[in-house]
This record gives sequence, structure tokens and C-alpha cells, in this order.
Amino acid sequence: MEESNETLCVGIDLGTSRSSISASTGERHVIDSYVGWPVDMVARKLVKKPVLVGHEALENRSMLDLRRPLERGVMKEGSEKDQEAVQEIIRHLINLAGIKQKGKNKSKLRAVVGVPAEAFRVSRQNLRRAMEGVADSVMLVSEPFAVAYGLEALLHALVIDIGAGTADFCVMQGRYPTEEDQKTLTTAGDSVDEQLVKLVRERYPDVQFSIHMIREWKEKWSFVGEPKDRVLVTAPIKGKAMEIDVTQEMRTACESILPPICETLAALLTKVEPEFQSKVRNNIILAGGSSLIAGLQDAVTKSLEELGGGRATVVKDPVFAGSDGGLAIARDASTADWEKLSL
Amino acid sequence: MAILDETKARLLRGAVQDNIDVLQGVRSTDVLQGVRSARSIRRHRIVRPWMLWSLLLVAGMAYLTIPVQVTWRGGGQTANSASIAQDALVPLADESSAIETALRHPQPLDRGAIPLSIKRIVIDPGHGGEPGTTAQSGITEKEITLDIALRLRRLAQDSHLEVLLTRDGDRSFSLDKRVAFANENKADLFVSIHVNWMEPHTIRALETYYVGPTDDPATMKLASMENKESAYSLSDYKKILDKIYVDERRDESRTLAKAIQGQLYHSLKPANPLLENRGVRTAPFVVLIGTQMPAVLVEVSCLSNEDEVKLLTKQNYRENIALALLQGIRNYATTLNVSSRKGS
Repeated sequence: MEESNETLCVGIDLGTSRSSISASTGERHVIDSYVGWPVDMVARKLVKKPVLVGHEALENRSMLDLRRPLERGVMKEGSEKDQEAVQEIIRHLINLAGIKQKGKNKSKLRAVVGVPAEAFRVSRQNLRRAMEGVADSVMLVSEPFAVAYGLEALLHALVIDIGAGTADFCVMQGRYPTEEDQKTLTTAGDSVDEQLVKLVRERYPDVQFSIHMIREWKEKWSFVGEPKDRVLVTAPIKGKAMEIDVTQEMRTACESILPPICETLAALLTKVEPEFQSKVRNNIILAGGSSLIAGLQDAVTKSLEELGGGRATVVKDPVFAGSDGGLAIARDASTADWEKLSL
Repeated sequence: MAILDETKARLLRGAVQDNIDVLQGVRSTDVLQGVRSARSIRRHRIVRPWMLWSLLLVAGMAYLTIPVQVTWRGGGQTANSASIAQDALVPLADESSAIETALRHPQPLDRGAIPLSIKRIVIDPGHGGEPGTTAQSGITEKEITLDIALRLRRLAQDSHLEVLLTRDGDRSFSLDKRVAFANENKADLFVSIHVNWMEPHTIRALETYYVGPTDDPATMKLASMENKESAYSLSDYKKILDKIYVDERRDESRTLAKAIQGQLYHSLKPANPLLENRGVRTAPFVVLIGTQMPAVLVEVSCLSNEDEVKLLTKQNYRENIALALLQGIRNYATTLNVSSRKGS
């Protein structure tokens, strides 16, 4: 709204698994939320960089002190290295968006960053500190609120942003959400990973696999409900690559997040004014990487039948819905507002 | 369209105010009450400077009247810090703007300003009665933690340090009683010894916790396991954690945790080259929340890893753990009388 040539706006969705940026320059990028530093001189010589971020860090993890610095969508506590890692992720995202952070032509940067709905105050302060030297002004908003704002779903809507670390709920009732309008569950994509690890290990005790392989399988073949095809994956058994069937394990692991999500959804709906409950039930919006689990939309819609019926839909662009919403907020906020939030 | 713009403007005002409140230190629970509690927040702001003024004055007076004699039993260092306090109070009394700035941006107390001593520590061997975690070979967490605690008590006798154990045999002792024991005995430090269980079992990690929130699901799970003797639920902890953020013990507990973690890793690494240093972390363990002194919980090994279990069966290795814990406590003690300010 009040953007000048020198002032750029960005929306950032810092996720446990992936982080995305949408910039007023038109650039949009998503990266894996991993940061790694070479473990020694030899590693540094091989990777040719002092620090690696995203997929590059994951690919070279054997040579790196690898960090996944965000847990449940906020910075881990107790490690300066994790704070540094978050800064690296933010810098990397801003670089990818083509925004200069140094020199004469340095842009003035206003950033809106999405955090889980129930993020602790200290976590938010840590995040603000991590943004120092990167942006000029920072606004932290709850992730589902950013999604709702971007979609202009501001009235009689309920957004569920299901990421890796958290599932964040927010009822939009035309006002800034209160504590009662929001809820964060830690049952999300990572819980599916944990379940899948357990179930595959139980069924195939000799199969060797890593958490990264599990995540890759989940991203390709996750589903709830009746399977359309068998899920066959390749993994080594005693050093020999073998194909194994993990259809049932995948289904059980993915469906494990349904009960808490549906229960929380029902609990939040009861807090909506009775005359508007039907409208909200028919406007359930699913966002976040884990909303891409096949069949999830139908399963949530089915769970609404017990409450009188309703409809859940997945946003068109789950990966960027949060950062796009953040960018919309950044653009709409006035210069006076941004001055109050300068770092 | 006008309605949409108006709604957006209202939402933005809410978002900006929420951020300003976080910046100014209003608790998030207050912030999230939104419009309905806005009036109470404003009232809170009016009252707060006076409340803090009073607190500051009371603290300052107490600080001036209490003679602070400094002793570390092992070191015998002494100092009188009353003059430091007086110097600090003079400009504050004259410059109200400076006070307001200081109140908005509280600076951590220079620990060198009030040198302290350590005379009595409470060591808490984790579990008892119930076994805690159990290795495949049958070795239990309660046996290992008690053995290390008894060794630590013996070793500490030479350090003129009084060590009290929350249990010295295989008996059940609830978490709140462990906390009460440390508080009633006015311990200077509290160290709880535990042995971890981690997945995958290849992990052989060392980690030390001090009180605070955690965003790590694995740590939440661990806290849930270690707190299972408590009547609290994790959702209860979340509510009281806000209080812990402003707990002055937190900085000291972190320093103690760093000293112990650093020494343990340094001492155990030669015999255990694959040991992973997971560093210092925060978690809402009951024994760390309730105790009134700097307190840490140390996970000295992993019973889930068979190689760690083999090491733990060796007396020398357990003795090394006890020695490292004691040395870590000593290292922390020596930092107590050192000012953190440059030049002081």
C-alpha cells in the first residue's frame, strides 16, 4: 500500500521442515529448514562454503554439523548455534528473493514472519532477535492468521495450517484472533514420521533406513483412507537394496493425526456463536505441507458430518499460503505501524 | 469492498498491537485476550512503573543494609559490594528517564556484584522403587543413578562440600518430595542425575537441562517420562512456564548446566569417542521447576545404546562420571565470584 522504491516487503513462513518466502519483488522460494557447518577443514574444502542451507545442507550432511533449528515452528532454546542457524535460513531466503542486505543499495526491508498460534512470548522475542541485522522492521503473526489474511477469509472461516512441527488452528471472526480463537497441536507431520519409523521398524526389523528416507517416502506417498495403489519403497536389507510394501504402515501413520485434528476442530467450532457455526463448518481451510496428504480433505469433511455437515478445502498453494499471507500483511500495514516495529 | 478494507484495517491494528505488547513485555496470555482485555492491559501499564519503582527501592535498600560477605569454602575469596550498590542507586534516583529506560530494558545483574558461595548441594539420583529406563541386559536407570550419586558424595567429602542425597537406597521418593527436600535443606545447588533412552538406539548422547520451555517434541516426551510421578500434566506446565521466564535462577542454572555439561563431555570423550555432545537445553522437569536454587538435570548416558551400557557396567566409567560432575560443580563455583563486566 505504502511501498516506496527503497522499501521492500516480505512474508516468511518459517517451518520446522520447510521455510518459504514471498517478496514484493515477485520472487517466491521454498527451502528445507536445514543448516550445516563443515565439521572440519577437510569438509570445508570439499563443500567450498562456510555454511550450507536447505537441500544443499541435507545432501552434504555427512560432512556437516547439521541443524534443523526450528521445532514446532519456533526456535529451539538452549543453543546459540540454533539461533545462528535460524539467522542463516532467514538470510538465505532473503538472498534468494534477490534482496540486498548490505552496501549502498541496501533495501529497507519490512518482514512479516509466521509463528505457531500459541508460540511462547520468549520464542517470539528470540525470533525478533534473530531478525536483527536482516530486516529493518519485523511483525510476527500466527501462521493460520497469515493464511486467512492472504486468502481474505476474514469472517466465518477456520484455518488449519498443518506443518511438520505443529498443526495450527485459527477461527476468523472478523477481528484479530484471541487466545480462544486459536490452538496449536504438536501432532503434525513429524508425528507421522515418528509413527512411520516405528511401524516400519516393527514390520521389517532388518531394513535399514534413515529419518530422511522416511520423510521422502511420506512426501511421495502419504494418504489416509482406502489406498489407491500399494506403497512400495526401496531400502537396504543387510546392504542389499530391496523393495518393501509399506502401504498399511503409511496409512496408519498418516491417519494417526486425524483424531486430534478433528477433535480440536470440533472443540473450536463449539466456541463460535451458534448462528455462525454452520457458516464456519462450511469454510474449513486446510493449509501447510501436511495438508497435501492424499484424502485428508475428505476425511476432515467426513468428520464434520457428526456436527451437522460441512466442507473442508485445501488451499491452492499450501506451500506458499503462509508466506503469501505474510506478504499481504506487510504490504497493507502502514509506514506508521512499521515504524513502531522497527528493530 | 469497504467492509473488507475496514476488517483488514482492524485486523492489522490487532496484529501491530500484539507485537508492540510482546516488545514491551506484556505476557502473551494478556495479549491474546485481545479487545476484551485491552482496558485491563492499559491499567496494567499505568500501575506497572509504580510497582517496579517500589520493588527497585526495596531491593536497593535491602542490598545496602545486608552485609554481603563472600566465601567459597574452597577458595576463601571475600568482598564487600555495598559501595557498588550505592554507586548504582545515585544516578537512578536523579534521572527518572534513565529509570524508565532501565525498567523497559532490564539488564541482567552482574553476578560479580553479589559474590556467593556454595556449601551444600543436593544430589538427586533419578527414579528409585520404579526402575526408570531399563537396558536390554536388565541394568536399570535407578541403579546407575544411585551408584553415581554415592560416588559423588564420597568424592565431595574431600572438597569440603556437604552433599545430601534425596535417596541413598532403592526406595520410591516422589518428585515433589525431592523438591521439598532440596528447599527445606536450603541447598545451594540441585543436581538430578538421570540416564536417557533415545531412538534410534545408535544415539549415545550427553545432555544437561535447566528449567525452561522446550519446543523440541523429543524433549517434551522426555519431560513427560521423567515427570510421570507428578500429578501435573504438560498443559499445566505451559501455564506456569511464563513465570519461569522471569525466574532469576534461570541464568545461574544455565551457567551451572554449561559447566557440568562441558566437564562431562571433556572427561568422558577419551573413553567414549563416539559420545555426542548435545549441549545444554531447557525443559519443564518438575524437579527443576519447584526447586528454589540453581538446578540442573543431567542425562549422563543412554541405556538404549548397548555400547553405552557396556561402559556403564565398568566401575571406572561410573567413577569418571561422578568425578566429572563434581569438577563441573567446582568449575561453576569458581565462576561465581568473577564479574561478567569487562574491566571490573
